[in-house]
Amino acid sequence: MTVQVLGANMDYAAIVVLFCIGLYVVVAKSNLIKKLIGLNIMETAVFAFIVTAGMVEGGDAPILGPDAHAPFASPISHALVLTGIVVAVSTTALALAIILRIHREYGTLEVDELRQMDG
Amino acid sequence: MWTWPHWLPAIVAAPIVGGVLVPALAMRGRRWAPGWSLLVLSFTLLGALALTLQVARGGPVSYDMGGWARPYGIELRFDEVSAFALAIALVGWLAVLFSFRYAPRAIPWERLPYYYTLLLLNLGGMIGFVVTGDLFNLFVFLEVLSLSAYALVAVSRGKVAGLASMKYLLMGAVSSVVVLLCVGILYSLTGSLNMADVALRLAETSSPLPLALALGGFTAAFMVKAALFPLHTWLPDAHAAAPSPVSAILSGLVVKMGIIGLIRVLQIFHTSGGLDLGYLHLALMWLGAASLIMGAVFAIVQEDLKQMLAYSTVSNVGYIVLGLGLASSTAVSGALVHVLNHAVIKSCLFLAAGALILGTGQRTLTGLQGVGRTMPVTCVALSIGILAIIGVPPTGGFPGKWTMAVGAVEAGRPGFAVVLVLGALLLVIYYARIVNAFYFRPPAHPEVEGARDGVPSILVPVLTLAALSLLAGILGRVPLEFVEPAAMRLVGP
Repeated sequence: MTVQVLGANMDYAAIVVLFCIGLYVVVAKSNLIKKLIGLNIMETAVFAFIVTAGMVEGGDAPILGPDAHAPFASPISHALVLTGIVVAVSTTALALAIILRIHREYGTLEVDELRQMDG
Repeated sequence: MWTWPHWLPAIVAAPIVGGVLVPALAMRGRRWAPGWSLLVLSFTLLGALALTLQVARGGPVSYDMGGWARPYGIELRFDEVSAFALAIALVGWLAVLFSFRYAPRAIPWERLPYYYTLLLLNLGGMIGFVVTGDLFNLFVFLEVLSLSAYALVAVSRGKVAGLASMKYLLMGAVSSVVVLLCVGILYSLTGSLNMADVALRLAETSSPLPLALALGGFTAAFMVKAALFPLHTWLPDAHAAAPSPVSAILSGLVVKMGIIGLIRVLQIFHTSGGLDLGYLHLALMWLGAASLIMGAVFAIVQEDLKQMLAYSTVSNVGYIVLGLGLASSTAVSGALVHVLNHAVIKSCLFLAAGALILGTGQRTLTGLQGVGRTMPVTCVALSIGILAIIGVPPTGGFPGKWTMAVGAVEAGRPGFAVVLVLGALLLVIYYARIVNAFYFRPPAHPEVEGARDGVPSILVPVLTLAALSLLAGILGRVPLEFVEPAAMRLVGP
């Protein structure tokens, strides 16, 4: 039964796996750049989830016109994800700027080495 | 003027637009940046005051953005909890005034306009966060205020700032992603993003598992933002490394956004009623109690004045979360009032600490010995702030903490009332350490001997906030009665 549920919701299962990989990278890796990549993987998983949730079986693009016919895919989730991507890019840009500064000041990006110098 | 219908979008837009314009104005002359920021915030303060008066008279005010009717359009909603916008505008205004003298010392000259931009963006993001009635907007404003907060920590000189900011960013960004995920879950369950509408539609869904996942995710994420023990690890470094006016804003206001986010989520789930919130309340109670005690214990052993104040924020967030977890209307009213009072008190403390650091160049308790004699006015303000944070009557910490203790007894959990009192007693120890160092020790450093109370732009914010910390206690009943409808929406039938 579990297998069937997983099979029917393959997309969601993939998203959960992706999210967990991202979280693992953020928590377990000690390089700041790798942590940032992990964060981006998590964000991608969430975006994929929201887009998938807006999908309608056989749905059309929700654009009015002579050829438009129901059902339509939800346009809101795309708008949400677009905004989310902008936010994610800003986060990444800010994080990279701060990482550059840390590298200039400490000469390393490994968290354990940074902790020793800080201590 | 008080009933202008567009105040609600105006108080969100003004700081954000005004903030973006600062660098352009600074091209004409850098002197313009602080004055302009003050002007923008005066306007915001007026708007927040007008809206709070409207709420006090006639209940929550609602505004449909662009004239699109909710739940399809985006709703802005100013209720009793949103009245925190008044504290945001006021503390922001005073922090900008304080920055006149402080910022040029802490921040490289060429970056000064951007400092004011970030400050205004942060305040605008927070005001947006407390007034929005839309879940996705909640996330966007959360990111506006969080990103500007990370940058504000990194803005000061010194090695620690970059690392503290990175630590804050990583934990904050992960929690933001979790918030977005939970917003996505609620959206896919209900097909709506309007909070009130989501609450209505959730009542009809019969899938408790994703609901519980969303509730748990929201709670954990907002706990990181609120720096609740054991997720507080980013806070002490970030708040101590930031320039003092920023510390005041971070500790007094930004941390509260986690709490207000939690309140919004609790409100949705309480209204929908599909899920038993008993376990969550139990978890909040214990986490709050742990945070309350651990924060106070950590605060006692600190040597750095600002680190001490940062840990006391962890303790006070514990108070508020404990009050929310007790889930009796009295305790929740107490918690809501303490959100406001702690904002005023903690920003008073951080600004006073900033004035001491500016005057003496020292930031440890040993270094600041004897400063009570050379900077008497600032030290009196700091002492009032500390009395208030302990919760000694009739200061501002008392009404909230007392009401929560009464609420704990009412909720049939007198044990937590004991914890509340115990936390205050622990804070007395840390107060005694500061008083001992400031007043009963001879000056250890020549800088302390030569220090004097600052100029008016330093003293006015510190004294205003100290006076408000006192007033919040003397007029303690007014805010308690004001937030009662909000408390009823959270736990009422």
